[in-house]
Formats: sequence, C-alpha cells, structure tokens
Amino acid sequence: MIDLLTGTLSTAVLAGGVLALAALGEVLAERVGVTNLGVEGLMSLGAVIAIITVVATPDPWLGLLAATLAGAVGGMVFAFATVIVRANQVLCGLAVTFLGLGLSASVGHDYAGVPSPATFGRVPIPGLSALPVIGPAFFGQNLPVYLIYLVLPGLAHWVMFHTRHGLAMRAVGENPAAADAAGLPVTALRFWYVTLGAGLAGAAGGYLTLTYVPVWSEGLIAGRGWIALALVIFAGYRPFGATLSGLLFGLITALSFVGQARNWPIAPAFLNMLPYLGTIAFIIVPVVVWHRMRRIMAAPAALGVPYHRDVR
Amino acid sequence: MLGLAAGAAGSGLLRPLGLRAQPRILPPVAEADALVAFGHTSPVTDGGWTMAHDQGVQAVRKAFPRLRTVFVESVPYSADATRIFRQFVAEGAQMVISTSNYGDFIRDVSDRAPEVAFMECDGHAVSGNLGWYYITHWYASYVIGIAAGLMTRTNKLGFVGSFPIPSVYAGANAVLLGARSVNPAVTLQAISINAWFDPQAATQAGTALAENGCDFLCGIMDEPAYLRVAEQRGIKAAMWNTDMRQYGPEAYVSSVTLDFRDYYVDLVRARLAGTWQPEGRFLTLGCGVDRDPWGRTVPPEIAAQADAMRTQIMAGYNPFRGPIHDAAGRLRVAAGEVMDDALIYQWDWAVAGVTGLD
Repeated sequence: MIDLLTGTLSTAVLAGGVLALAALGEVLAERVGVTNLGVEGLMSLGAVIAIITVVATPDPWLGLLAATLAGAVGGMVFAFATVIVRANQVLCGLAVTFLGLGLSASVGHDYAGVPSPATFGRVPIPGLSALPVIGPAFFGQNLPVYLIYLVLPGLAHWVMFHTRHGLAMRAVGENPAAADAAGLPVTALRFWYVTLGAGLAGAAGGYLTLTYVPVWSEGLIAGRGWIALALVIFAGYRPFGATLSGLLFGLITALSFVGQARNWPIAPAFLNMLPYLGTIAFIIVPVVVWHRMRRIMAAPAALGVPYHRDVR
Repeated sequence: MLGLAAGAAGSGLLRPLGLRAQPRILPPVAEADALVAFGHTSPVTDGGWTMAHDQGVQAVRKAFPRLRTVFVESVPYSADATRIFRQFVAEGAQMVISTSNYGDFIRDVSDRAPEVAFMECDGHAVSGNLGWYYITHWYASYVIGIAAGLMTRTNKLGFVGSFPIPSVYAGANAVLLGARSVNPAVTLQAISINAWFDPQAATQAGTALAENGCDFLCGIMDEPAYLRVAEQRGIKAAMWNTDMRQYGPEAYVSSVTLDFRDYYVDLVRARLAGTWQPEGRFLTLGCGVDRDPWGRTVPPEIAAQADAMRTQIMAGYNPFRGPIHDAAGRLRVAAGEVMDDALIYQWDWAVAGVTGLD
C-alpha cells in the first residue's frame, strides 16, 4: 500500500511537472494581458527540438535549452503578431498551435519512435529523500523537477509580487492605458513576457521528452497544452497556484492508471476520461464554490485586449 | 430517383453493389505497367507495425524493380481513408494493400473499382475483389507466455493493451494460457490506454502495473515505452512488432515479430500473373509471425521449454484447446474441442485469470 502511494505520487509529480511548467509560462503571458492559445503547439515544438538536440549532442541540459529557445522563437512570432501588430489573440494563438503541431510533425518525422539518447537522471536530495512516501516522490526526482516545482515559481512569485518590476508587469495586464500614462513600456513588457512564457511552454515539451516519455511521436503532447491553459484559470493566475494545480492534475492522471491496474470497478473509458473531467471541474469549481474567489482569482482586467495607444 | 440512379450507373461512376458474389479473375499485368499502392496506419519510421509493413514494401521493390509502388502514411480512420484509397485507384493502381483494418472505408472504394485488387490486413470481409490477411500472432504470444509463466516470481503478468478488440483479447488470452500451461497460479492484469502509439500513456500504464506487483509486462504497442519501464524497475517485458532489445537489454524477453516480406512478394507476383484470388489468409507461425530470438537474460532451459511448444505448433499442434473458461467462470470451450484460427480471430472474451479487459 505504501509502495503504491509512493509510486502514484512519484508518477504524479513527473506527469504534473509538464503541466506546471507550461501553466507557469502561460501565467506570465496572461499577467501582462495576452492570452496565448498556442501552448499546445509550442510544447510540441519544444518536445521535438529537445529530442533532435540530444540526438546530435547527448546533453539533456542542451536539449532543454534548445526546447526553451524553440518555444521562445515561436512566442516571438506570436508576440509580434499580437503585441506589435495587435492582431486578434485567439486567432493568432490557434494559428501558433497548428503551426507548432504541423512543424513539429514534419521536422520530427525522421525521429518518430527514436528513443532519447540522453535523459535527466534522478538527483535525490540527501536526507529529505529518505522520508517515507513523500521523500522519493518530491525529493528523489531529477533536477528539472525541483526547478519546476520550487525554483521557477518561487522566482516568478517574488518578481511578480515583491518587486517594482512585478508591479509594472501586473499593471500592464490590468490597465495598460494607465500603465502607459505612468511611463511604463507596455509593448516591450508584453512582448518579452509573452516570449518568456512561450519559452517555458517549449521547455515543458522538452521536459516531457527528456524525463518522462523519452521518445518523440506525433501527437505526443495529446492536449496537455490545452489543459495547461485551463490550469492557469484554476491557479488564479499565480505562479505557485500553477504549480500546485499541475501537481493535482498529475495525480488525477496517475490515478486513472492505478485504478485500471488495481481493477477498481470503474470502466477504463471513464478512468481515461478523468483528466478531461478534471479540466472542466478545475475551471468551474473555484467560481461556483467560493464566491469570494471570484475577486481573488479574477483574470487580469485587460486580458485578451490588444492595447492601442493611438485610438484611446 | 430512379433516373438519378440509372444516370449515375450509366456514367460508370456508381455500380450496383452486392451483385458480384463470384470472385473476379483479374487479368495479368506487365511488371513495367503495374502500380501497387499501400495505405499505412502510422509513419513508416514508427519502429513497429508500419515499419514491418514497409520492409515488405521494400522487398516488393527489390523483387520487381520495374514495378512502381506508392504508399501513404498515417491514413486516418475516417472518410479521409476512403479519399486516399480512391486516389490510389484514380492513379491507376492495379493492387491496393491497406496495412490495417479500414472496414467500410475501403469497402466503399473496392466495390466501385472491381478491376482493382484490394487486400486488407486484419480485415474481415471478402468480396469479389477484396481479400484480407492477418498474422496468427496468438501462437507467438502463447510461446512467450510459457516463458512468462516460468520467469514470473509474483505470478502477476501485466498487459498494456489499446482497445478491447479481438487482437488484444487474443494477445492477452494467449499469453495467459501459455503461462498457465506451466504455472497454473499466474494471473494477468490488463490496462487499455486507447491508443497503439502513445508512449506517455504506455509509460504510465506500465508503471502502474509494476507498482501493482506485476513483474512481467507484455502488451501490443507500436513502441518500446513499457520495456523502458521494465528495464528501470528490474522486471521483464515482452514486446510486439520488432526486435526492441536495444531499448532494455536486461528486461527484454522476446517479441512477437512480424515479417510481411515473403507474403507481399507472393501477393504482388500473383496479381501480376493474373492468378490473384480474393481470400482471407492467415500467416502462420514461422511464416510471417514468430517469437524474436530470446533476450540475453532468459535462462536457456526456459527458452528451450518454450521453443519446444513453438516446434510443436509449427508442426500443426493447436494449444488453444478446452476446457477454457471465461473470466466469469463459464465454460466457453469444452474439453476436447480446439479453437481454430477463425474462432481466435473473433475472440471477444477474456479467459479466466485475465482481468481488466471486460
């Protein structure tokens, strides 16, 4: 029983990391007022670039870096269209999704089924990893897991809520006109945070193929980019919220397989459906159950609205 | 309405269906004029099912250098498949081979192109110009099951399946029956992941099975994800499609390997000579499907015991004989009866000891 718990939690942490990282990236973009629906495509791109990189040079960190850069380049294209040209964010996001999926399929055609020659190994934290149940799951993982669950959200939280720069960033997402009047560089902030967020989405794809599923195949992301988008809402647009909801979601995914393996009297089709039911629940529950949450978890006021200084 | 139908039939676009019970003899074709088209279900680089078929395509090319072949990868299971097969016909293909079951999507095309020979892998229908072929993979699974029954310590086998369809039932049942023939205490737990190629889901399924006490993983997957799980956890795994030992040399036991090369060359030769007949055809153990040479950690005496059954099967023995009970305990195959290939091909129930499929 203990083994099962440890194993399930360990799988949840690994599976949730992908979502946590992608959701964190989306939090950054949405905090400055840009909805990037291209996460699915950017993750796909990151996943394939990571594999191609480690096939050439078997260093997982290089692979992760390349995946991040690939995501960032895709994000720049998106940011150029939505922030500088100020095109419709929804349409551009969908276009980036299709672009990313198609591009990764054609670039990765010759790499389909090729296992990743280099992956991140486990780096247990001395002492903590010996704790029962949570030790192996949380402290016996690979380095990117610690980055995703602690370092990156910690950094993002500190910058966002404890620095002047973070205040400026949030202001741009809440009221770009006021931010502009206060002399903040609205376009630059939006452009670079969207790019950074897209880079994290690419990294999430790279993390997937370098740790959890060390092989590329078309359709590998399988909707996780869309789930990450939903998690951002559940997370209340907060970095640690994104991490925790990623973990919770990883747990749901892990449970659906444990349920089948242990023969719970639930149809496998239903268990496979759990992550998607979870997605819907994650969006609905916070606003239905806690009315106060509506304000706390509200989206940035200017989310999805292009900022036109000249037509104000 | 009548006028429309007559007009359409007269234009040659539509032909009345279901009136040709007699197989047509298609005329011979010169090698230089022939075009053989293949529709694949996944990319030829998948390292599994489609790669095995692609090796068959390459054998055809080598055997008939002047013949033209075309193939389309990742044919979807939708009306798009009909469009792709129709395109083959429009391009002038004399023979169309679909390497997976496209059912009515291919039947729609074959009924309207009676001068073209169609073959469908894992198909079930035979018409005037449509036949099917399939591998009797259950015998290879049975042989591997014997090794599994002898090698498991926990007496729990794990099976990573895609959908509860006859191929998966036959695969899981055969492994368990093989294992039980040497070790009656064995049970098999199956997980359906709703895909043939989803490394992520297969990894999770393999992990969940291992954590649940299974120390021998098998399944029908087009990629080696659960073999890597087995390798990391120090348990054993048997695979499908191709030799995958490089992905987990310690864990690798064997694989149900496919080889369509000889069959495809024969098929194309028959079509060129004008002797092709629409029929259903099972490729037998050793002729198109086999167990892969045993992995390096398989003890020689276990390999020998399993291979003894393989030799018997190749000599004509059928190990699928009664009494066989289903998972609910009902007697499905009485003592003294055997399940022939046609029956196994339609297998839609789990034998006693298999859980997770029904």
